[in-house]
Amino acid sequence: MTLGRYTCRRLLLGSVQVLAVLVAVFLLVEALPGDAAVALAGDNPDPARVAAIRSAMGLENPAAQRFATWLGGLLSGDLGSSLVSDRPVTEFIAAGLPTTLLLAGVTLLLLVPSSVLLGVFVARRAGGRVDRVVTAATIGLHAVPEFALAIVLVALFGVELGWLPPTALGADPLADPAVLVLPVLVLLARPLCAVTRLVRAAMVDALASDYVRHARRLGLTRARVDYAHALPNALAPAVQQLARTTDWLLGGVIVVEAVFVLPGLGTSLVDAVAGRDMPVVQGLAVLFGVTTVLVNLAADIIAFRLAPRAGSAA
Amino acid sequence: MTDPFPTLRRRGFLALAGGLALAGCAGTQATESSAPRSGGRLRAAFAGGGAKEVLDPHMASLFVEAARSKALYDKLADFGSDLTPVPRLAEKWEPNADATTWRITLRQASFHDGRPVRAADVLSSYARILDPKKAFRAKASLAMIDLTSSRAVDDRTVEFVLTRPYVEFPNALATFSAHIIPESTEDFARPVGSGPFSFVSFTPGRSTVLKRYADHWDGAARLDEVEFVLANEESARVNALLAGQVEYAHDLSPVTARAHESGGRVRIVRSPNSGIQAFAMKVDRPPFDNRDLREAMFLLADRPQLVESVLSGSGQVANDLYGKGYRHYAESIPQRERDLDKARFLIKRAGAEGLKVALNTSEAATGFVEAATVFADQAKQAGITIEVAVGDKDTFWADTLKNGSLSSFRSGAMPIESHVSQRLLSKSTTNVTKWARPEFDALYDKAVSTVDETARDGVYQEMQRTLHAEGGYLVWGFADWVVGTAQAVDGVATAPANTLDWARFDRVWLR
Amino acid sequence: MKGWRGVGVVLLVVPLAVAVFGPLFVPDEVGRGRAFVDSGVLGTDFVGRDVLQQVLLGGRTVVLVAVIATGVSYAVGVPLALTAAMARRRWLDEVLMRPLDVVLAVPSLLVLILVAGIAPHGYGTVVVVVAVVTVPDIARVARAAALEVASRPALEAMRLQGETRWRLAIGYVVPAMAPTLVADLGVRITAALYLVASASFLGVGVAPDAADWAVMVDRNQSGLFLVPAAVVVPAVLIIAWSIGVNLVFDRAVRR
Repeated sequence: MTLGRYTCRRLLLGSVQVLAVLVAVFLLVEALPGDAAVALAGDNPDPARVAAIRSAMGLENPAAQRFATWLGGLLSGDLGSSLVSDRPVTEFIAAGLPTTLLLAGVTLLLLVPSSVLLGVFVARRAGGRVDRVVTAATIGLHAVPEFALAIVLVALFGVELGWLPPTALGADPLADPAVLVLPVLVLLARPLCAVTRLVRAAMVDALASDYVRHARRLGLTRARVDYAHALPNALAPAVQQLARTTDWLLGGVIVVEAVFVLPGLGTSLVDAVAGRDMPVVQGLAVLFGVTTVLVNLAADIIAFRLAPRAGSAA
Repeated sequence: MTDPFPTLRRRGFLALAGGLALAGCAGTQATESSAPRSGGRLRAAFAGGGAKEVLDPHMASLFVEAARSKALYDKLADFGSDLTPVPRLAEKWEPNADATTWRITLRQASFHDGRPVRAADVLSSYARILDPKKAFRAKASLAMIDLTSSRAVDDRTVEFVLTRPYVEFPNALATFSAHIIPESTEDFARPVGSGPFSFVSFTPGRSTVLKRYADHWDGAARLDEVEFVLANEESARVNALLAGQVEYAHDLSPVTARAHESGGRVRIVRSPNSGIQAFAMKVDRPPFDNRDLREAMFLLADRPQLVESVLSGSGQVANDLYGKGYRHYAESIPQRERDLDKARFLIKRAGAEGLKVALNTSEAATGFVEAATVFADQAKQAGITIEVAVGDKDTFWADTLKNGSLSSFRSGAMPIESHVSQRLLSKSTTNVTKWARPEFDALYDKAVSTVDETARDGVYQEMQRTLHAEGGYLVWGFADWVVGTAQAVDGVATAPANTLDWARFDRVWLR
Repeated sequence: MKGWRGVGVVLLVVPLAVAVFGPLFVPDEVGRGRAFVDSGVLGTDFVGRDVLQQVLLGGRTVVLVAVIATGVSYAVGVPLALTAAMARRRWLDEVLMRPLDVVLAVPSLLVLILVAGIAPHGYGTVVVVVAVVTVPDIARVARAAALEVASRPALEAMRLQGETRWRLAIGYVVPAMAPTLVADLGVRITAALYLVASASFLGVGVAPDAADWAVMVDRNQSGLFLVPAAVVVPAVLIIAWSIGVNLVFDRAVRR
């Protein structure tokens, strides 16, 4: 199969996958207790008022009909409008997307080079003291839940020492990048450990492999063998992990968003579910589903390019 | 009896809290005050509703929306700290002899675009709220207005005709979200009001910037600008305040207050009698249709322990009645104390020994689940097993209105009359305790049609005696409302949430 | 390297011992006092309970839920993967594996919120959520391992000798997959622990005042400056156990 045909097949499969996600999410949200009218009425659930809100939202129509209408809109490129505020769903996505993209972008930009370099660095010293220290540190840091890390970093650097802003409240992250330091550190911690360990393990294997030994015997310099021949093969498993991380970052990182007041897509999603605002939940589910399909496809293609033998495209 | 705390210490603490409460009511401030000065921008952090929030004042339901409405708009009246209505856009109100027709005289006030506030604006605002096709929150409170008979006498005089005698009509004028907007406004993208601040910018879920409106009828605000920013996590609001990212942090926990009160980095402002904490028993169904059992529940509750552990001591013990310190509160009824022996006796008489009952709660409000588990421990000592059932927080209020027999309850400040009319009459729409008695309804009708102040107060006392003896609300505490400000902020008053002086930024200044 | 193994075992055993045996040392009647004051050994927590008692009580749920959830995930994921990999018909493989892709495409956060909203509160729900989120990963790893084993010449030879497909699966493929699965296990337990802790932090499935290390870290953070132990002690126990699991499994694999 050529790469082009493979890509087409995957995209086709992917759209079926996204549709399945939409149906699943719709059914699950329908299964939640209460609806948008009840959630909006809040602590003043006057039955007459709830009924009035319900009819204003068009919630009396059967669920299947509402889903079909929404799906019809989706096919013509219309994501619909929020039940609660009547603003288009695209506005909700536009409100959260820049923050999510910024956090994900900065994190990945730092994550990829640092984890690969660190992984290779320790792999070339495998078994040595540096290797053991780094391995222990990555195991330790990987075990710290992100909310715990966030609490500690904020209390220490944000409040006690006052070196860095503890939240991004009322700040524009682009104009004031200092507000991103702590959240990005928190986001970076666990993926950095995971990817570094993967790169290290794969690199150690690659360096011990027959073809690397063969290349060395041919008289290539050590650096050339390590970086041009061993490294690409060692990166394949790390690419899969990076894809999971990217998917996670783009799906909204609710804890970091909440602690540092960086309202991205995760916050939008939690708010929408709490408000039973089905069109917004559905719109975000489309976005997340498409992201997952594309990121995984990209990862498989990259892995195939890096190490054709190990690629899953075969 | 197991009592982990020496009584002396508890009493001492309560006396202290009582002292604070008195100081709060008198309007004095603990910290030294500076002379008011003008200028500067205040950033205020509130919890928010995310990207779905709106600027339409009639759709407000969150604290941040209420605070923003207060800055942008005015109501005809608002509540003082004892929940007595205070004239605002209305200069005065005059009822006829049987309180069925009310003549309201408006102040000389103008909207931010220069147009005067007219009787037509008032009538159109109320007509919008009362629109039968809409579901605005204030609708039920204004429902006694007969709009077709009400009229604008002249530009600054409105005559409201009511469908029944209603002495407490000013309470309706001050009701939550009954703001006056310019006639036939439907677009709130750039809101225009008559409040002390005018609109600058709005990003849903993030920030709202307002600037001083120099021609406000109540005198111009001192701040140049006020910015509302949103942070749902309490810890984020505190951290931002500590780091100087905001100057005002709304709704802090009592523990936070204690942790930072003496640190000198922030000021803590506590407003007593703000949050009413209770358990609601439904009186129309077993097991709490039994009066003895309700009284037993009243008696087995260890209120001081609930206040100490759930409110972290930042509040006062309640007496199964709503609205301590508010007008018409029955101060003369003695405080109920824990009496396990009598509770056990009453449980036996009710035939409810070994009773198992579910207590419906959720995380719809902070402290709900904690209070429920503490109360379950207390009930166990009287031989009643309370199973704490944690439900969905988003639908909690609608669920507990219909289902179960015992549930967590809390309420913000409102006049005692509103509490009764919304929750304790046969036709009340949010009657959680299902308290529906013709003789009680008649007492209410008598109260709101009795023009004589003293006679009316007597009727309110009678209603509260009944509720205290056999009502469905086990009110155990009044939580302080805690706000933190930067040291430079001055003029923040202590007032229960949703009253006039709460979150009122036109009286605040930066040193 | 011997020293490291000792460290790993200590980190694994101490929190585990606290988790399993801790509740035995706590009296039935839990006293309550004022929140966040320095009474007792470690002070009081956010509703005035003794922090030491809560620490002793709070490990069972975190540790057990993580272990049980991982166990359930393997019990579901491995047979699924084995069936898919050994399937004679390609469509069976597709039918078994494609639905898992759908789960993967829903953010785990959304799964967490939705399932917790529908299912009743409780640890059973957390186990189900963790299983739903981890089964696709386990199934993928296990299927890849099984396919690799199944393609070995030895298996081909045995099949020609007339061994049934299922005997081969249980008797040969599973044992051959074991090292891969064990290597994966340490990571999965940590991930489950992490998910359980995050669920508690988000208030999903667990009562907000439950005696639970993860809940303690979250709920006591408002008193971080008054009673630091109420946050630090449970956090350190969670982290230590997680490190211990990893170190011990790493050793086990390398041996």
